[in-house]
Amino acid sequence: MTLIHHRRSRTRAVAVPLLATALAGVALAGCGGSDGAGGGKGSVTMWTYPVIFDEAKNEAYWDGMVEKFEKQNKDISVKVETYPWADRDTALGTAIASGKGPDVVYLVPDQLPKYAPNIVPAGDYMPADAKSDYTDFALESVTVGDDVLGTPILTSANPLICDKRVFEAVGEDSYPETWDDLKALGPKMKDEGYYALSYTGDTAQTLNMTFYPLLWQAGGEVFAEDGESVAFDDPAGVEALTYLTEFVEEGWTPKDLVTTTPNLEQTPVAKGKVACTWTNVATDVEPFWGRENIVVQPPLTGEESAGYGTVGALSMLKGADTEAAGKWINFVARPENAADLEKGAGYFPARTSADDLYPDDQLQQAVAATLPSMNAGPLEEKAREVMGVLAPELQAALLGKKSPEDALKAAAEAADAQIAR
Amino acid sequence: MAVVAEPTRNRRRRRSGPHARREARIGLLFVLPCFLLFLAFRFGPAVAGVLMSFTDYTLTGGGSFIGADNFTRLKDDPLFWDALKVTVVYTVLAVPGTIAVSVGLALLTRRAFRGSKVFRSVFFLPVVTSLVLAATVFVWIFSTGGPWSTAMGWIGLPEESWLSHDTLVVPALALVGIWSRFGYGMLILLARMQDIPRELEEAALTDGAGPWQRFRYIVLPQLRPALFFLAVIETTASFQVFDAVYTMTGGGPANSSYTLVFQLYDAGFKYFDLGYAAAIGVALFALTLVVALIQRLTIGKED
Repeated sequence: MTLIHHRRSRTRAVAVPLLATALAGVALAGCGGSDGAGGGKGSVTMWTYPVIFDEAKNEAYWDGMVEKFEKQNKDISVKVETYPWADRDTALGTAIASGKGPDVVYLVPDQLPKYAPNIVPAGDYMPADAKSDYTDFALESVTVGDDVLGTPILTSANPLICDKRVFEAVGEDSYPETWDDLKALGPKMKDEGYYALSYTGDTAQTLNMTFYPLLWQAGGEVFAEDGESVAFDDPAGVEALTYLTEFVEEGWTPKDLVTTTPNLEQTPVAKGKVACTWTNVATDVEPFWGRENIVVQPPLTGEESAGYGTVGALSMLKGADTEAAGKWINFVARPENAADLEKGAGYFPARTSADDLYPDDQLQQAVAATLPSMNAGPLEEKAREVMGVLAPELQAALLGKKSPEDALKAAAEAADAQIAR
Repeated sequence: MAVVAEPTRNRRRRRSGPHARREARIGLLFVLPCFLLFLAFRFGPAVAGVLMSFTDYTLTGGGSFIGADNFTRLKDDPLFWDALKVTVVYTVLAVPGTIAVSVGLALLTRRAFRGSKVFRSVFFLPVVTSLVLAATVFVWIFSTGGPWSTAMGWIGLPEESWLSHDTLVVPALALVGIWSRFGYGMLILLARMQDIPRELEEAALTDGAGPWQRFRYIVLPQLRPALFFLAVIETTASFQVFDAVYTMTGGGPANSSYTLVFQLYDAGFKYFDLGYAAAIGVALFALTLVVALIQRLTIGKED
């Protein structure tokens, strides 16, 4: 009896770890498995993000698109996966590097140069009549070098927006159009306990939405024309940064926002203490200001009027079934199909033949009118590295640690070194 | 005749023979699954990371071997040295701070009293709280007009946000780090304190030793192994600080809180310069190893 028991124990003692090892092996094998896509039927996997802020509505839109598309294309199956906006490049970059990237992905212009080696040029699948239908802003914003790297499905604008309640509270009835107008508001607003401007200097924010509009308004550019060096340290850049620095020094903009980005509800913008901003959009502030209190102005004019706007585009990644993925992209990009996405998110069509989505909406009409002044930001491979070295130097100047000239000079040296690498 | 106790380690004899060898084999078999997973998910990626640091690997993959170029670049990169300085300053503030608070709270809660378990649980709560979530609240706490700035005003200091101040931002982050980690340290030290024979302190009390003397000469020496463990764990965690910095300051103002892991993150996942990011990781590993060895030679030399 004891002997039998002893043998059973020994058997169990050996079997248990062996089984566990086998299970571990299976787990490891599973990690390296292939996609195992079945043959015969074309398939498309697309990664997108909550373009429509309400995720349920966003999902419903894509579900509807997939259903409609698959009904018309019975030999192609489409899977749309929605990821959070946060750290999207981390997820996408890692997936591409490990060979697990999607076939189609939603990108904005400043992502395109980085992913260019992995993108199938849209010229390979975009119909000629569709190409000629895009607005100049939409098409130019997705063109890197000679290649169109995405199919635009929406456009957006970040104009200057002002809080009507603040202007009424200080007895001001004209809204700023130029740098001088805004500057003149500074002391007046401060005396009444308000800020003339909200500027976000947090280095985590893209400079496309913060400093670059001011730089463009001053007549400056981020990169030199040949893209081999930066140009933001020229007199226009110094003028733009000097202008902004004065707002911080004088207390005309909240100093905390130069370094941090609290949740919007914690900011003076949401609390109705800020007159104007270009770093937030109307849909952000609407819950706090009320739609009726949002005044849309064209981007400020220094030497010229310029602001940041973006284009949402679908790009095909290498390795995709070009025919199936191309059909899907062209299907979504049709004006009648993209309309619900654009309207649901409060954005605008990328094609000239599209219907006016907001015929009775004065606010959206005012934003749409600013689209021609918008710039999607520099389309250079090292654009993000340049932002990485410029943003801390801008902070240093805004906090009075460096002069605008010195800060921009230091940033330019570091940026040129990055570009040369 | 005095009876001298044989040291514990000498009492253990190495067993040999076929039975012992069979047991050892079975033991190894039990360890094997975990070992395989460790090889696949820890050791493998670590080796791959080291290999990657000698390449110019990017998003498109297939990076070529470039020798020690990434390390030469690191040596000449002022941002790396600034990030290293910030990381070291943070560690110098956060590690002793965490250990001191852990020791203090472990001393306060080591004896059972009404509600002691509640206190221990409450003190441990920050450890299981998402630091990203907590950091969002700390942004408000440290903001101008927030509780911390207001409290500073009460004691006559400027009421500006510490997160906007190039000198005070790292201490502010260290405070958040201490808040998030002391519960774990307290738990480790509490477990160790429970093992200290009460007779030792009672004998010292009888001999007239005060609280400080009992702590200094009875409790503290007994805590040495746990303190060494904590010092290594906390130093490693501090060298890897990222989430609070990412959420609270983004490395600012003007790179004043830009740490090594932040630089690694930027290089790898913002600029997709994966070879360089791997080189930063290797440098961080080497630094952590050297510091752990120094700690071993100082705090942990008797263990």
